[in-house]
Amino acid sequence: MPPREGVYGLLAEFNTPSELVHATEMAHRAGYRRMECYTPYPVEEAAEALRFHKTRVPLMCLLGGVMGLTTGFLLEMWINVWGYPLNIRATPLFSWPAFVIPEYELTILFAGLSTAFGMIAQNGLPQLYHPLFNAPNFASGATTDKFFLCLEANDPRFDVAETRTLLESFSPVSVVEVDH
Amino acid sequence: MALEHEHNGAELAHGGHGHHGPNVLPSVLTAPEVVKTWRVRAAIVAVVFALLSLALLAVPGGATHLVRAYLAGYMMCFNLVGGALAFLMVQYVSGGKWGLVLRRPLEAMTRTIPLVLLLTIPLLLLMKQLYLWAAYTTKAATLDAYHQGLITNEQHLDIDFRHVMLNPGAAIFQACVVLGFMTLLITLLNRWSVLRDKDETAGTVGSFDKWRVRFENVSGPSIVLYVILMTDFVIVFVKSLDIIWASSVYGLQFLVAQGYGALAVGILSLILLSRYEPMKTLFRTTEQHDLGKLAFAFTMLNIYLTFAEFLIIWSGNIPDELTYYAHRIQGGWWTICTLDVICHWVIPFCLLLSRDIKRSKHKLIWVAVVMICARFIDLFWLIEPSWNKDGDTLHLIGNFGLLAYITVPVTLVAIWAVYYLTELGKRPLLNVNDPHTEELLEPEHAH
Repeated sequence: MPPREGVYGLLAEFNTPSELVHATEMAHRAGYRRMECYTPYPVEEAAEALRFHKTRVPLMCLLGGVMGLTTGFLLEMWINVWGYPLNIRATPLFSWPAFVIPEYELTILFAGLSTAFGMIAQNGLPQLYHPLFNAPNFASGATTDKFFLCLEANDPRFDVAETRTLLESFSPVSVVEVDH
Repeated sequence: MALEHEHNGAELAHGGHGHHGPNVLPSVLTAPEVVKTWRVRAAIVAVVFALLSLALLAVPGGATHLVRAYLAGYMMCFNLVGGALAFLMVQYVSGGKWGLVLRRPLEAMTRTIPLVLLLTIPLLLLMKQLYLWAAYTTKAATLDAYHQGLITNEQHLDIDFRHVMLNPGAAIFQACVVLGFMTLLITLLNRWSVLRDKDETAGTVGSFDKWRVRFENVSGPSIVLYVILMTDFVIVFVKSLDIIWASSVYGLQFLVAQGYGALAVGILSLILLSRYEPMKTLFRTTEQHDLGKLAFAFTMLNIYLTFAEFLIIWSGNIPDELTYYAHRIQGGWWTICTLDVICHWVIPFCLLLSRDIKRSKHKLIWVAVVMICARFIDLFWLIEPSWNKDGDTLHLIGNFGLLAYITVPVTLVAIWAVYYLTELGKRPLLNVNDPHTEELLEPEHAH
């Protein structure tokens, strides 16, 4: 694959999370969707402004849990009723109370694993290169005390001049054009 | 939910510039006037259901069931007060903003202890009709009852064996100790809570630390003592309905059930109060989410203990222990048992899994209502089958006496609610002299 060239996006730097959240919300209202916030610590409001909470990870967790439950039930059923039907204490072969614990364990196991792997599958990690590190202020500030909003060039509304004007209207510390 | 997010977004954007400063502490912190309306409604429910209960006296078997249902209603009130007390102490020890926002409703719940004390008197007077150990108090009496075929041999031997703990005098003594301890603790915690707000150095780190340490020192050891004493209380007044059966997890089950019920009432109160100031400002979605998570934990813990007890007894397969469950599962009781599991666990569990439901006021409120209803069903399932004999079946049709299990507990809980709401109106809804107060006023998720 040939290396991607051109503008990755416009990166605005803010000093406070409040300014970042406000800018994000306004950019969302202006119709931008391909955008991302970068903060040194989790800022829930930024996630909300990005409408970020609707991920598929909870669904993955639920499906994993249901699969674990079903697996546990079928496993126990097969062992006790069909595979190795040993009647040791004169209870019916299908004694569901005894199945509950393995079912529970497998529910937790499958839910946990599917959450972890589902999250990794969806969040794009591991990522060895990210264009934003081309911006010098990002590399030094994103993990310490600066708050960044990046409006990405692949957004249909993106236009270098217009987007820059929009970002500058939020009085950021700086707006930097980031290349791929 | 997408709509709600839009809504949140709109709110965020509205205040636009520099809106992210803290909220202002509402000038009036007392409960809104509407609490008085709720109190009147609760009083109406109490009167209507009390009249219905009286009408049941005319039904065959009505009087007997009224007495048993009285125990269920009494335990509902006791559990709410006990659960609130336990929660109050836990939040003092653990800290946290959820604890501060829930503190005053919990305090109001605990201050209903005089009602529980009052309700204990009829319970003690009715002892003979409820407990075999109160009906037959001497060895000669149990032997005589056995010879007359009124009790089985196991019951006869067990009543004699447990006589030291289970006899009318001992029961009264234990009730006095347990309720006395609770009253003392409730008085102390409630008085300090007022003094804390009146502290001359209120709002300073010195004052915060002084009161935190004081509450922690009392609450920590008292939680342990309370659990032990409460276990004793429920063994005497509920478990001993079945004189033969024993379970080492019984007290803990009740403790969790108390927390479950008190938390549900707490969430219900806060959500209803949050429609008006001051709770409109103070009860944020963040704390509601926390309480929802806590309710989820209690839902799990409750089924964990209940099912563990059943599984161990089922696996053990010992007649003495199994009879307890046989009476509660066979002969039509499986319907009540299933209903109990569905309301106590399946519904709250499935609903509370969702983040959106935990954060939505008008959805979480219904979860709390289901949880409270589940407590009524659970007590019915725990208490009524104690009088089953082998081979008895549950007759719902024509057995109007069983309706007492709805009317009497609802009456008592409605009376309790009147008292609770009265107490709720007596104090500001927030314990202001607490470091978390400032945090409650911060906009949500801001750092």
